Amino acid sequence: MTAIVVDGLRKTFGKIAALDGVTFSVEEREIFGLIGPNGAGKTTTLRILSTLLKPTEGSVSIFGHDVVKEDSEVRKFISYLPEDAGAYKNLKGTEYLRFMAEFFASGRDRESMVKRAAELTGLGERLNDKVSTYSKGMMRKLLVARALMMRPRLAVLDEPTSGLDVINAKEVRDTIKRFAKEGTAVLLSSHNMLEVDFLCDRIALIDRGRIVETGEPEELKKKYGAKNIEDVFIEVVS
Amino acid sequence: MSHLTNLLRKEVKELMTGQMIASMLLMIFMFAILGNVIGNVQSEAMKQEVRISLLDLDMSAESKKLTELLNSQQNVALTTLGTESTEDALKIADNHSSSALLVIPSGFGEKIDNKEGADVDVYGIVRGLGIMDTTNSAKTQVAVSVINELIAQEYVREAYPGTEPSNILNPVRPKSFIVLRGVVSEGSPEMITSLLMGQSVLVPVILMIAIMFAGQMVITSMGMEKENKTLETLLTLPVSRSTIILGKIGGATIVAFIMSIIYLLGFGYYMRSITPNSSISMPSLSMGVLGYALLGVSLFLAILVALSLSMLLGVYSQDTKSAQTMIMPVTLLVMIPFFLLMFSDYTTMPTALRALLFAIPFSHPMIASRALLFGDYAVVIAGIVYMALFAVILWLITIRVFRSDRIITAKITFRRKR
Ligand SMILES: Nc1ncnc2c1ncn2[C@@H]1O[C@H](COP(=O)(O)OP(=O)(O)OP(=O)(O)O)[C@@H](O)[C@H]1O
Ligand SMILES: [Mg+2]
Repeated sequence: MTAIVVDGLRKTFGKIAALDGVTFSVEEREIFGLIGPNGAGKTTTLRILSTLLKPTEGSVSIFGHDVVKEDSEVRKFISYLPEDAGAYKNLKGTEYLRFMAEFFASGRDRESMVKRAAELTGLGERLNDKVSTYSKGMMRKLLVARALMMRPRLAVLDEPTSGLDVINAKEVRDTIKRFAKEGTAVLLSSHNMLEVDFLCDRIALIDRGRIVETGEPEELKKKYGAKNIEDVFIEVVS
Repeated sequence: MSHLTNLLRKEVKELMTGQMIASMLLMIFMFAILGNVIGNVQSEAMKQEVRISLLDLDMSAESKKLTELLNSQQNVALTTLGTESTEDALKIADNHSSSALLVIPSGFGEKIDNKEGADVDVYGIVRGLGIMDTTNSAKTQVAVSVINELIAQEYVREAYPGTEPSNILNPVRPKSFIVLRGVVSEGSPEMITSLLMGQSVLVPVILMIAIMFAGQMVITSMGMEKENKTLETLLTLPVSRSTIILGKIGGATIVAFIMSIIYLLGFGYYMRSITPNSSISMPSLSMGVLGYALLGVSLFLAILVALSLSMLLGVYSQDTKSAQTMIMPVTLLVMIPFFLLMFSDYTTMPTALRALLFAIPFSHPMIASRALLFGDYAVVIAGIVYMALFAVILWLITIRVFRSDRIITAKITFRRKR
């Protein structure tokens, strides 16, 4: 079954057209990357998919459910990681994870979910500290773990590795790859072209609210005669 | 655990910060100490004797009698001075740390005998303006006026032997009744006024505290979601918008409730320690069980409306700081009926004002607190129905806003403008 079908998506904020006819689709178990310059419309697209914003025109369906009409159904199998997110300051790391897990499981299932997430964070003992004491990267790892711990059918990740050091970023990428193998469809945005190249099965280049190029990384590199995705990006956008 | 319980727990944990608990405890502590200190000073002051010095320049039988009468009074420690001049007497009185000096001028006895009325000079010696000093001066006044009473009684006894002096001194004793909407009861209009003032201050004060704490908490909890950037994640969880809203309102209510109780306990303790308890009861002016129930419902609905309104305002708050100002319109809506009702009665107001008051949901518990005393149920029930409708409509609007883009974009537009 197709995980995401986006068709002719338009979104305006007053006079600003953030999205101007975006169309793409993502298959199950696929990792799909959205890349594009700042303000291109990546976050807006991901927010519409996550039922946070309503499209002005066009439609989005996730596993066959319309994001507007069946938003509460959609929320049951997606997990969204905002690009600029935080956690509840007064909770400890574990408390935060438990609070989040409670929405997806209960009893022993919940506890094993929390345990899995705790391992994913790699924060160890620090999970017993209040979230307010975490560094930016520690916070990001906590949030990535929370986004993946319930093994969602679709993970929508807005710049998942932003703020992470090289080692932690690599760990997160490996985790994402592993979850995709285990059955999670992933839609992510990123400014890190190496990351996109390594992670994504397919990518879409978005510029000024339109998809200007879609394809597998290798395919695109060949098409533009480029060494890497960065060159493709520069070629397409400029 | 249900989603709601889960959300409630989180809200309470987030709002009950160590800092908040600390400041709350500090406040109770201060109230308690303050109440204790003031109460102690006062009761000490009341217990202590007042020191009065007396200079008798007359030395008549009458002045001796007066001295005796003063001396026999409880709470008075009298020192009779033997000097000739008032100035010297004042110095000595001051040295004795007396609170007052009484000077009986010569000719006093004669005037009393001739029933001409005689002067006694009272010099109040003020050392400070504390509670001790004021109670001492009050006690001196009382001591002097008691003497007057006693002397008058003496006169009456002489003139009308065998009669009770008070029957001559106060031959007519007014007995007060009030007719209030056809019901007759013993008492004076002042008593009603003070009862109504008590009511009309108490209900809005409770309302204010509840609205300020709970409203503040709701807006703060929304402000925190925005500030900590947790709202987007929360809104993509498999939990309905109405449960999220209910969780926020419920969590804020729990925290506000705890805070209000602690606040009222602290404040009540403070008030009890500084004021002797006086309660007025008027049988014809009591509410009865139904009355209290209706007042309870009215208060509850007003608080619910305030919370829903705060929730809606909270959507537009950017962070915890702006949350503080966001509560203003709600506070204003409590102040308007509070002042209007303090100076006039709902039933006797011009129609336009009545319409305004009725439209403001927070008027209703205040109107109800009076109307119920008079068994006037219609206006109370109308208010309850109105507030219930108001709450439902607010609720629907809030859920709509939570479903719309605004819940997310209210923040973004602001941030980009900066
Ligand atoms: N709430 C909003 N109000 C007005 N304009 C908005 C709003 N949200 C987004 N936009 C506009 O929509 C366009 C797309 O923004 P979006 O955040 O989707 O970009 P992005 O691709 O995620 O950029 P970045 O790489 O910087 O994260 C921008 O021009 C932005 O100014
Ligand atoms: Mg973005």
